[in-house]
Amino acid sequence: MIDLAKRDIEHTLGKFLVTAMGVGMLLGIVLIMIGVYRGMMVDAEILLDDISADLWIVQEDTLGPFAESSRVYEDLKDIIYVMEGIETSEAMTFQNIQLPRAEKPVRVVAVGYDIRGVINPINPKRLIAGRDIKNDHYEIVVTDKTGFKLDEKIKLGRNFYTVVGITHSTVSNGGDPLVYISLKDAQDLQFSYSNKEIQNNEARGVKNSETFIVNVIVARIKSGYDVEDVAKEIRKWQHKSVYTAEQQKTILTKNLIEKSAKQIGLFTAILVVVSTIIIALIIYTMTLEKMKEISIMKLMGLPNSLIISMIVKETLLLGVFAFIFGNIFAHLVYDRFPKRIVLEIPDAWGLFGVVVIASILASFVGVKKVISADPSAAIGG
Amino acid sequence: MQETAIKVQNLVKNFGKGDNLVKVIENASFEVKKGELVALIAPSGAGKTTLLMMIGCVQEPTSGEIWLGEEKVYDNRWSAKDTRKIRREKIGFIFQAHYLIPFLNIIENITLLPQTNKVSEKAAKQKAMELLEYLDIADKAHAMPSQLSGGQNQRVAIARALANNPQIILADEPTAALDAQRSISVIKMLKKIAEEQNVAIITVTHDDRILPYFDKIMKIENRGIVFHELEGERVI
Repeated sequence: MIDLAKRDIEHTLGKFLVTAMGVGMLLGIVLIMIGVYRGMMVDAEILLDDISADLWIVQEDTLGPFAESSRVYEDLKDIIYVMEGIETSEAMTFQNIQLPRAEKPVRVVAVGYDIRGVINPINPKRLIAGRDIKNDHYEIVVTDKTGFKLDEKIKLGRNFYTVVGITHSTVSNGGDPLVYISLKDAQDLQFSYSNKEIQNNEARGVKNSETFIVNVIVARIKSGYDVEDVAKEIRKWQHKSVYTAEQQKTILTKNLIEKSAKQIGLFTAILVVVSTIIIALIIYTMTLEKMKEISIMKLMGLPNSLIISMIVKETLLLGVFAFIFGNIFAHLVYDRFPKRIVLEIPDAWGLFGVVVIASILASFVGVKKVISADPSAAIGG
Repeated sequence: MQETAIKVQNLVKNFGKGDNLVKVIENASFEVKKGELVALIAPSGAGKTTLLMMIGCVQEPTSGEIWLGEEKVYDNRWSAKDTRKIRREKIGFIFQAHYLIPFLNIIENITLLPQTNKVSEKAAKQKAMELLEYLDIADKAHAMPSQLSGGQNQRVAIARALANNPQIILADEPTAALDAQRSISVIKMLKKIAEEQNVAIITVTHDDRILPYFDKIMKIENRGIVFHELEGERVI
């Protein structure tokens, strides 16, 4: 039997492919939107995974350094360290800063850590050039996305920092590139004021702040101890909020990303609906263009099923081609986006399923038109 | 003795109801034998197309009887639920324009209907090639309709109408878009087909120049059918 859909597509191949490309770009955007969400999830967990702490001890009644402002004294790490079940504890700071660049300043999150401590936030697997920070002052490790090169000097506050290492794929939960500096430098940057500010504060009678403040104490526990039990003990005696790694992850992924995820989800759903409507309109137009031929086929006695199968097949093929073009488009452009886009195969298959269902739904408008086509329209000009 | 291809008795077609009732065809009766080429003439709006659609099993009559060959297909209701099957198996259509399916090549246009009738692809192609040779356009078998002239496409349309071995061919002004010379050539071809393929052809026409070529001329007069005699000589 002659494959009417195949013949029709071959006859208008250029038009069909351009249409599929257009719809494909929409589907590509759907894939990218899903990729943005996946990227946010990955970004949210990078720093947590690299630090790999069992406990996050922060200012009481705050959610921790990524969700709310938290200030604790640096020496809290020593108090935590001597508590039962703690193997090691370190102080860390996290702050948003702007690195000056000739073209455009780069917004980053600076992680301050004790360079002689056990917990090092720089994952050696991500260090692609240079080394860790070895000196207490004026050394910085940057992410490759910042565009800085090894040995480049960056002015931060009152001092110049030398780039000693470059990492790849390290970003904060907000998607900003990460840079690493020593805890002492980080405290200086975050908590010390300029001379003029100090003078002003003294004139007002305000005592200038101390720099022995950090944002969080992270700790690892000894094997054999239950994380929750140790956390409970710290909460009890130290009047601090303590989160396990799992809780911290939940704060990041659920509390912080949930709204964005819902927003992206809604966008994605709207795009899928728009794609379905566009496919339906295209099929409707394609069917309208063939109404004379459809009337003649019906007049000659061709069964509806044959004509309907042509419409449904064409719609499905349009959907499949659009899906292929969408994937190609998404893979061509995804790494040009400033934030991480993660394209995953299961998401693509999920979208394929949606496209098939959407195509079948979209074909209904064409099928309805076929059923209502009057064979007598072929007679009488 | 020629077999009857189509027989119509007391055919009635009304549109609307009550005060809006419009009687289009009233008690029309006629018979066309196999091998005959018959013209159907009438002024515009007299019901030619309606009659053609009724005997083509496209539009349901109000009452009456229609036989296609030995089979009574309408007796105040259609004999088969699916009138498309009747059309597919017993009737061929030719239109004012060729109306070939533009995305199928010539041979596919001709074999589409037989293949729907469960004729094998090979047999359908063989029959199509025979028809194309008969109509002298076998060399265009694999061309697309857009690559053929209007006259060539009309011959393909005739081949398509013959492809399912119909008992009757209904032609709706097949020469409307042609000049006098080509019109006569098409009618001569239809006459040859009617005789050689033993099929009845009913042709709606407004063109008086081609009337001498028909075996019979049916005219719709006062909503009924009368057989019209030409004053001049008939071309046999």
